[in-house]
Amino acid sequence: MSKNIVWRLLRKNISAAQIAGYAIANLVGLSIVLTAIQFYRDVNSLWSKEDSFISKDYMIISKKVSGLNTINSVMGSSNSKTNNLNFSSNEIENLQQQPWVRRVGNFTAAQFDVYASMEMGGRRMATHLFFESIPDEYFDIQPDGWVFDPATPEIPIIMSKDYLTLYNFGFASSRGMPQLSESLIGKVVLDVRLSGNGLRDTYKARIVGFSSRLNTIAVPQSFMDWANARYAPNEKIQPSRLIIEIGKPGDPAIKEYLKENGYESAGEKADDGKASYFFTIVTGIVIAVGGIISLLAFFILLLSIYLLLQKNREKLHELMLLGYSPRQVAKQYYILVGVVNMSVLILAIIIMYLTSGYWIQPLATLEVETSSHLYAITIGAIIMAAITLGNFIAIARTTRRYFNS
Amino acid sequence: MIKEINLDNVLPQVFAGSENEPPVKDSQVWLHKITFSRPDNYLIEAESGTGKSSLCSYIYGNRKDYSGTITFDGNDISRFSMSHWCRLRTHALAILPQEMRLFPELTAMENIQIKNRLTDFKSETEIMAMLERLEIPHKANQLAARLSVGQQQRVAIIRALCQPFNFLILDEPVSHLDARNNATVASLIIDEAARQNASIIATSVGNKITIPITRQYNL
Repeated sequence: MSKNIVWRLLRKNISAAQIAGYAIANLVGLSIVLTAIQFYRDVNSLWSKEDSFISKDYMIISKKVSGLNTINSVMGSSNSKTNNLNFSSNEIENLQQQPWVRRVGNFTAAQFDVYASMEMGGRRMATHLFFESIPDEYFDIQPDGWVFDPATPEIPIIMSKDYLTLYNFGFASSRGMPQLSESLIGKVVLDVRLSGNGLRDTYKARIVGFSSRLNTIAVPQSFMDWANARYAPNEKIQPSRLIIEIGKPGDPAIKEYLKENGYESAGEKADDGKASYFFTIVTGIVIAVGGIISLLAFFILLLSIYLLLQKNREKLHELMLLGYSPRQVAKQYYILVGVVNMSVLILAIIIMYLTSGYWIQPLATLEVETSSHLYAITIGAIIMAAITLGNFIAIARTTRRYFNS
Repeated sequence: MIKEINLDNVLPQVFAGSENEPPVKDSQVWLHKITFSRPDNYLIEAESGTGKSSLCSYIYGNRKDYSGTITFDGNDISRFSMSHWCRLRTHALAILPQEMRLFPELTAMENIQIKNRLTDFKSETEIMAMLERLEIPHKANQLAARLSVGQQQRVAIIRALCQPFNFLILDEPVSHLDARNNATVASLIIDEAARQNASIIATSVGNKITIPITRQYNL
């Protein structure tokens, strides 16, 4: 004899087809939702995690280089260091008063000569370089070793990712030189010779990070201040580039202001925002479709439960007369719904895992670190808990109603 | 625990308006004040259509289509909550419905156990002993649908006894049993009621259960 007689009695009218229909529909819906969430989180790291030093809310601007600027500086008709490619104090002040600007930081350019060389594969490469710096507070995260101590001088450098790309895919491949990864570059020690003010010193330098938003060769502000004071004590110039923290990213007034004043923002990072926005919309639609399928499935189950209880109405009444409480009877249906829903959730999570395998590999080659599945699993569990709770309430109410009738 | 069941001026709604006509006019139950108190046994003698099963349903809390008041120890049963009824039906009040109400898709034993699992009152051995006493142990694992009406009646009686009770309502308990089976059923019921110090309220349209009766009413 079966352990649970009540269940044997009540399961008679359960339609396996209805339950299976619900399970499949909900599985499809939930799988779409979970997979879309996971995909969104993984792919979104392309934009959000690529550059952790400086967040999206920063913009770097400079003045447009026109033919006239160039001629002026070449002809020496004005002092090249104060030509109108630099921002005047008035211009900076005006910028600071714009409603979308939170704060403005100056790029400080090195006023001394930089000559770097490195040993690589037995060959020595050397080049003239330039350094720039921005105040440390504009960094979201400071890379490891982003300090400069004149007592034990080693210069940390953040380099634009574009330079590495240029080297790897433009220079190295055509010259038959080895391509370099970011982590390998970090291990290379550069010899940097600084000269100016009649002094000439050599320091060790190390590239501690690459940035796609900071299109320069950046050194810590503390080093720049120290070095400018040492090698160019008498030079004082206005910055030619500014870093702006934006209060309202995406404000159309920004574009307008830049255009009006003939400024341009570095790179085309704004387009990243557009792509990211578009991607968010598309993912949102996919999640909504999955959500609607799940919601419809929820109603299928609800309908199925109502039908089932309707068919078992007599039996429920008999059980009541035997002294069964509505809860004791409803428990049987709770178990059924719980088991089905739990299975659907587990299957949906498995499907999400398997599907994510299709994009993890391509993303790994782009050096994007994919996020953990925990977030999607939690969302799935919450959705399923909500669906199950809705089912339970419907069961409890209907059983009670039949008991009272 | 119920010590006393009181009926005060109770009348089925279907008889409203015909208070001065039979069967209400001649009834000793409808529109009267009646007390069933433990451990006395009562017999309600009735003709068909006088509301005998309705009375059983009213007392068991299954139906409320009556006027007047029914109280258990002074408490109006029409105000009892669902959970209170569940407690009463598993701990104080047992019933044998006239139509037996066995689940045809379950075996005789399962039909008994579906009640007994709820109350956890009898062991399987005790149930088998009762089946043997009523001479149907070989039917234990047969589907209720395959049992004769007399056999179903005996299974339903055993099911009704698988709980602690103060009052046992028997709606025509022996309508389908011969005299010999009537006696065996009666002795089983009397033994169980005596052990629990409980009252029996039995109805009959002719074939009476052979138990000692304290008071008889004509419905």
